[in-house]
Amino acid sequence: MFFIYTLSLLVFVAAAIFAMPLRGKAWAALAFISLGALGTSVPAIGTLAGQLSDGWSHSTATPFGLEFLGMDALSAFFIIVIAIGGIASTLYSRGYLAHALGSKSPAHLSLHYTALTVMFYAMLGVVLARGGYTFLFFWELMTIASFLLILFDAERRDVRRAALSYLIMMHVGFVFLVVGFVRLRVATGSASFDALSQGLADPHALPLLLVFLIGFGMKAGLFPMHIWLPEAHPAAPSHVSALMSGVMIKTGVYGILRLAEALADSPLLHTAGFILLSAGIVTGLWSVILAASQNDVKRLLAYSSIENVGIIILGIGIALLGSASGNHLVALCGMTGSLLHLFNHSCFKSLLFFGAGNILTQTRTLSLDALGGLGRHMPLTAILFLIGTAAICALPPLSGFVSELLIYSGMFRGIASGSNPLTAAAGIVALALIGGIAILAFTKLYGSVFLGTPRTHEVAEASEVDNCRIIAMALPLAGILFVGLFPASATGLVTRIAGPLTATPTTAAGYLLSPALAGIGRTAWLLVGIVGLLAWLRHRILRSRTVTAGPTWGCGFTAPNTRMQYTGESFAEGLQSIVPSFTQQHGESDAVAKCEIFPSAHRFDISRKDRIDRLFSAWWVELLRQINRRVMRLRTGKINHYLLFALLFLTIVLLLSVLHLI
Amino acid sequence: MSAFNTLLLFIVALAIPGVINRTRARLAGRRGIRFAQHLYDLRLHMRKGAVYSTTTTALFRTAPSVYLGAALVSALMIPVGNLPPLLAFDGDVVCMAYVLALGRFALILAAWDTGSSFEGMGASREALYGALVEPALLLAAGTLALTTGCTSFARIFDPATLHDSQYIIVLLLTAYVLLKIVITESGRIPVDDPRTHLELTMIHEVMCLDYCGVDLAMIQLAGWIKTALFALLAADATATAFCLRWWVAAPLAVLLTGLSVGIVESTRARNKLSRNTTFILTITALAALAFFTGYLLQLNIPLA
Repeated sequence: MFFIYTLSLLVFVAAAIFAMPLRGKAWAALAFISLGALGTSVPAIGTLAGQLSDGWSHSTATPFGLEFLGMDALSAFFIIVIAIGGIASTLYSRGYLAHALGSKSPAHLSLHYTALTVMFYAMLGVVLARGGYTFLFFWELMTIASFLLILFDAERRDVRRAALSYLIMMHVGFVFLVVGFVRLRVATGSASFDALSQGLADPHALPLLLVFLIGFGMKAGLFPMHIWLPEAHPAAPSHVSALMSGVMIKTGVYGILRLAEALADSPLLHTAGFILLSAGIVTGLWSVILAASQNDVKRLLAYSSIENVGIIILGIGIALLGSASGNHLVALCGMTGSLLHLFNHSCFKSLLFFGAGNILTQTRTLSLDALGGLGRHMPLTAILFLIGTAAICALPPLSGFVSELLIYSGMFRGIASGSNPLTAAAGIVALALIGGIAILAFTKLYGSVFLGTPRTHEVAEASEVDNCRIIAMALPLAGILFVGLFPASATGLVTRIAGPLTATPTTAAGYLLSPALAGIGRTAWLLVGIVGLLAWLRHRILRSRTVTAGPTWGCGFTAPNTRMQYTGESFAEGLQSIVPSFTQQHGESDAVAKCEIFPSAHRFDISRKDRIDRLFSAWWVELLRQINRRVMRLRTGKINHYLLFALLFLTIVLLLSVLHLI
Repeated sequence: MSAFNTLLLFIVALAIPGVINRTRARLAGRRGIRFAQHLYDLRLHMRKGAVYSTTTTALFRTAPSVYLGAALVSALMIPVGNLPPLLAFDGDVVCMAYVLALGRFALILAAWDTGSSFEGMGASREALYGALVEPALLLAAGTLALTTGCTSFARIFDPATLHDSQYIIVLLLTAYVLLKIVITESGRIPVDDPRTHLELTMIHEVMCLDYCGVDLAMIQLAGWIKTALFALLAADATATAFCLRWWVAAPLAVLLTGLSVGIVESTRARNKLSRNTTFILTITALAALAFFTGYLLQLNIPLA
């Protein structure tokens, strides 16, 4: 009955959105989403604040027996992330899709907004479902809705390709999850998350753990299952990229957190921690290096999403290793850091994807080598994007810094207490390198898009976007500033979730972390104060001096032009020269000939592909072709052969049943 | 006491460039410029007006304040010998690295803001070398945490913390790593040559080509503070091996950095740029070596 109720509700939502006039569709979707967001956020905040001690639960009858929907602290946390992301994305879509109102059919837009609403509710369902089959139902609904959302520009070939590869990869992951839950049911008699701890208590449950990890990792974008992300994000409209990158891939992390919760007393705890830490390190390093070599704003952001998932998983790995060695403080730091980073990433990545959307609608391009100097023409977007950039580089006094510092301090405590020094040192080196290269990647992005002089005249004529979109961007901005400037109060909420996950009492959890958080907060405010004071002093001093304007110093060359600016490609050249084997370079160019004293116009096109991508597609395609070729030998086109096959099949069935094998 | 610590840190920061200049002059057989010549130059810059490129935006004008502010805040976390720093909390070892990264981030973006390819080149190298040196720095901090069991500079270099004598070799090796980080971060030979005409200096100075006046003064001051901060860490680590007092650590920081940078600059040439990555990765390898040595000593494996 439950599924039928849900589906009929979906039909109602769809009918309402289809019936609205063209301009009202966005508002209808926003109304539905706000309703859901408010309805679930209130109990979620109650659960987090400790008012509703063990949340609520509600039983539902499904074809697979009685299952539960319920809210605990972890679901409550994810509900808040989903609510913020959902509202901001829908609000943003109104301005972003304004230009599509004329070019797309009303049915097309209705379908898009219906899918957006369905996706939002499906994500809520995913984090609320306690039973495995309910969870899988919402999981699949979420996949299909996001598939439809990616397909918005379905007339473009690359969009169809990306959407299809997304659908295929998600279903491969889905099969893994189905196998996992069925296996769980066989082992424990119940396919719910509550049975997970029982299922994983067995020391031989490693295959089960791996199956679940692959299933959830596919959604989260763990290496090497990340290849759908850099394809799907550039293909999708920007608000969808924001929702998918900021919120949807986090549902994969949600699954992994449920595994972490269930592993608490399992003999597999240490192994799982080690696996997650390694997966986090490899995912983070691989994708940050690829991010630094991308030439498209959205592809770069997509790789950076994978990198941040890597950091989150790394933190969870540290937390599990800490629990395994009995060091609760390490576990608490790692887990709190991961959860906070998850929230932070959903804020700044939404902000950055919205910024990418602004760039796309105002300049019609997302290529780093065509943009430039946008800061003058779109000042608000530039400032918001700058804050997002600094936050994602984990720079103080913004939010990314707080969460990464917590993960770091978990690892440093692991070293200082001697509980797991080697793994922690590996994590520190990886996280430091990830942080450093992320700064390289994002200064490249921000510098070549917003600073310098415009490289094309479309860019030079760009104008600022409407206020609705700026307001949508301000929502995640508030999250970034709050966490960055008031780390103690922001982390207080998160420790309520991290405490139970790491078997630390909640009050102790808050107490243990508070000195470090107070220190971070002091540093943040001191930094803001000192920089403000210095800027004011500088202003005072310059008031009494002569200040003039002139051209940029060209080192004696008097006719510099726009094309001589440093490009993103050359900015990352140093890194490329160290890590050539990570990427595959595709270049199309006709070189300048030696006899050309005054070179004529030349075109060249460089793109860098993920080696994993190539590996995957080549391997699969070749294997499928070979199998297909073998199978095709049976297709002779003669009816007598087919009759023979049927007879053979019946004989085999007969023999097997005689031998009691089936 | 914290105020005295900060004051001492500034004195160290202002003294190091003088000692470097004097060392270089003496090794070349010259008398050399005044010891405090760099301070006179700084005053000169402060008195000048400014010319701003028409390409630049407000970001370019704010960046020097951010750079200097970041250097100041991270310097507040560094103890001089046994003195307590102003800012101290668990995990400040990481905080320092990231506050410094904020300054780097601001200056790289300011370089992009000018639209000049020279400055882009400098910024690109600064970003890459900054990224590569970060693991070495944090691994060195990790080694200090491993040998003392503390995660804050103030506690690591606290005389009350038990400093086991078996770790002397590890501490000296860490100090050596930190000294190499000083050279990289301040763009000295063999990583970069700050003495050439500006365009030929490859990394840091070329990134600030368009700055003049007060802004340039701020950037230079921030550079000295950054140098002093790493120098003091190296000196603290060395002093821990025998006598952790401020009157040992502060002169040691000035002399260690001043003499070693001066001597290296008088005797060596700058690396080819492509060699720099190898140089920096070697620092990371050394830091890893120090860490493993510390770890093995901690395991305390009995020899046969």
